[in-house]
Amino acid sequence: MRDKSIFTPWISLAPALTVILVMLGASLFYAIAESLGFISVIGQGDISFSAYRATLAADSEFWVSLGFSLWISITSTFISSVIALALAVWLSSRNKESDTLALNWNLAFPHLVFAIALLLFLSQSGLFARWAASLGLIAAPDQFPILVRDRFGIGIILSYIGKEVPFLTLILLSVLRSQSIRYDVVAENLGASHWQRLRYVTIPQVLPALLAGDLLVFGFIFSSYEVPALLGVGYPRALPVLALRFFLDPDLRARSEGMVISLIITLIVILVAVISLRIGERQE
Amino acid sequence: MTTVNINSLNKTYPNQPAPVLKDFSLSINDGEMVALLGPSGMGKSTLLKLITGIERPDSGDIQFDGSSILNVDPNKRGAVLMFQKSYLFPFLTVEDNIGFGLKVQRASPETIRGEVKRMLDLIGLPGIEKRKVGQLSGGEGQRVALARALVTNPKLLLLDEPLSSLDTEVRMNLQEAIRVIQRELGVTTTFVTHDLGEAMAMSDRMALLLNGEIVALDKPETLFHRPRSMAAAKFMGVSTFLNGDQLPVKCEARSLSQKLFAIRPEHIRVQKDGCEQSLQGVVSDCVFRGEYVEYQVAVGEMSVRARMPMPAQMFSHGEQVHVRFPAEYLFEVQN
Amino acid sequence: MKRIASYALRMILYFILVAPLLLFIAYAFSTRWFFPQPFPIEWTLTTFQRAIDDSRTLSSMAQGIWIAVLVSLLSLILALPTARVLGLRKFRGRQLAWLLLFLPTVIPPLAIGMGLNILFLRIGLAGTIAGVVLAHIIPTLPYTIFTLSSAYARFDENYEFQALALGASPWNIFFKVTLRMLAPSLVVATLFAFLISWSQYLLTLLIGGGQVITLPILLFSAASGGNPATIANLSLLFIAPPILVIAATARQLNQHGNEIREQY
Repeated sequence: MRDKSIFTPWISLAPALTVILVMLGASLFYAIAESLGFISVIGQGDISFSAYRATLAADSEFWVSLGFSLWISITSTFISSVIALALAVWLSSRNKESDTLALNWNLAFPHLVFAIALLLFLSQSGLFARWAASLGLIAAPDQFPILVRDRFGIGIILSYIGKEVPFLTLILLSVLRSQSIRYDVVAENLGASHWQRLRYVTIPQVLPALLAGDLLVFGFIFSSYEVPALLGVGYPRALPVLALRFFLDPDLRARSEGMVISLIITLIVILVAVISLRIGERQE
Repeated sequence: MTTVNINSLNKTYPNQPAPVLKDFSLSINDGEMVALLGPSGMGKSTLLKLITGIERPDSGDIQFDGSSILNVDPNKRGAVLMFQKSYLFPFLTVEDNIGFGLKVQRASPETIRGEVKRMLDLIGLPGIEKRKVGQLSGGEGQRVALARALVTNPKLLLLDEPLSSLDTEVRMNLQEAIRVIQRELGVTTTFVTHDLGEAMAMSDRMALLLNGEIVALDKPETLFHRPRSMAAAKFMGVSTFLNGDQLPVKCEARSLSQKLFAIRPEHIRVQKDGCEQSLQGVVSDCVFRGEYVEYQVAVGEMSVRARMPMPAQMFSHGEQVHVRFPAEYLFEVQN
Repeated sequence: MKRIASYALRMILYFILVAPLLLFIAYAFSTRWFFPQPFPIEWTLTTFQRAIDDSRTLSSMAQGIWIAVLVSLLSLILALPTARVLGLRKFRGRQLAWLLLFLPTVIPPLAIGMGLNILFLRIGLAGTIAGVVLAHIIPTLPYTIFTLSSAYARFDENYEFQALALGASPWNIFFKVTLRMLAPSLVVATLFAFLISWSQYLLTLLIGGGQVITLPILLFSAASGGNPATIANLSLLFIAPPILVIAATARQLNQHGNEIREQY
């Protein structure tokens, strides 16, 4: 083939790499700097860990939000996985393109829009409340249970489930549709019943992809802002919401704390990503 | 250890006009290995699907030891299939693959371990229990697939061109291995192939399939030397058919002018000089093929294909030669 | 019986997936639909018209489209040489390159946005469209690169050699041969980039700082308010491009989408 020196590939990679690395690098630099009080919008200060101490203090709202975010992320991911698994197994028996189309359709909806739709459905004056009223189950809006903008994040969890189930289902379906039909036949031929095939053949096949998908989904939910901002309440707040509120506060100290929280979120997400990579490598 | 009776199976696929299996009947004796030979798409794979229960026949019956299996669930029939690809479960080790059939029968782990070891010894690959499927070569993979099929003591073993994707030498080894194992275990087996040599090497009897029907069923030697019909003869590589009155003058068989005779290419003699029993012809092709020489000779309107083992005389295109059909190798066929 | 149950379940599934859209339509095109009416009674186009005619809606849509177009273009230009090298060449450090280029998919937009907020304030890009465009490139680039690199991996360079041997200049080769052969993937990559930029909320908020307003920002504040009709109208306008894109690329998305998801 053509003889090119080893430097050439990197020249082609340079534009994109530079853009990404410079922006990410600078962003990271300023994030850390601000968290340390060193650099801020106004001017320079001294390096101080006070923001870190304040955030990680025992009575800080950080811990409450951390717990709340973990609750939302783990619950949403878990429930979505179970539903997605059942859905994928059910749909894999039929190879209909309309299924994938319908699932892809859902993917087109941004998370924000889905959350808004949920708001319109489930709020106390929303569609379901109106149906309940016209059926005579309730008399006034405030008799309808609070499902969105509630203290337990039910609306938030439902919103994420509604978006992540199709996403995970599509991942699982692509695994199931590639080869598994034959393995299923082979297993049946060797004497396995329907449930045995599910347990010994189908699920082991999709487990790696499901795990990878779950970690991806978890990381995304944990660090996402829009949905908990829209469907959450003042207390407890999800971690990203807390971070942003602090960051937009005119008080410099609050800004630094917001940065700290944001960096912690990033750290956790990166950790999850690394775990996922390690698991992926072990599969090989 | 099972006798298999297939009676008058019919199967037509919805989007095809002609039936894929037409009144198909076959009996396989206990412990016998029967080859199903025929060109692709002739219904061989369909037959296997019907036996294992992946598909249902339109009419007819399949019986194991005298009782019908058509109403038995596919996973309970005891008819185990081996494919062209090994389809070993990639997420299981070799021993978990082989033990799969026992695991779904809820056998104890000790039993499974013992049987797996026994199987690995049988297929000539002892000690590879913990290997991953991806580390096996093609031949090894198929051996393991065989072990996986046999571990449950199936009533019937079905092989669907299991060796087609293997290299020649591996293929030969595996042919022998399957034959030996099958004989030792006494498993009733039927296998599908489009390779004549393979069918002859491995089977007790061969069934030739054309258009969903069996045109011949007999021992390989019989089919090779004395196929009874023209279709079967063609299958076995015979291309020279002569009516009684086409035979050279001094042949005794000439008196039976209404009958049709055939002779294998290896038995036809191509020689420079004529004799009483020879016909004159012109060489149109002469190809050296290593172990033998292949001749194409135009005799009158016929084109005769002959093979003679080395050392054989090479002739050039257009040369005048004589073609001799030794009477002891001529046999009668039905049209 | 099993078939009927399966069919019914499938219909329910499809309905759930389509329900949000139906709800938006119901709210957007009805009037005087109050609690406790279960269904809208009066239909009208006036609310929708009013929403479209609103100058803020129009300008935010225009800005969103303009930004998304710029982002797609820039993303493509940056991604093409990158994707070519990643798809066609094996070299030392390839893994590292992939890792670095896909960092944006791992680092949360929250952190990126906050850091960039400070950076851009310092260099005067905050609150500008240029700043927002630059910021949007970060999440779109990995997807563009990935789509195009898959296309390049399937690309046979011999076509280019052939053109060269026939006397074509490098520009000619690139535009007349390479780009044309990559066209389907180019379209998908562009549409993906467009969608990602169009749907951005947090980055636009943090970089735009209240001066660059796109539709999602408008929508978010409307949703925090409470008029369902307005919310529904804005939502419909917001999801129109994504739906069109998905409809246009449904088949190709199937393959690409799975690859992209699995890429992680």
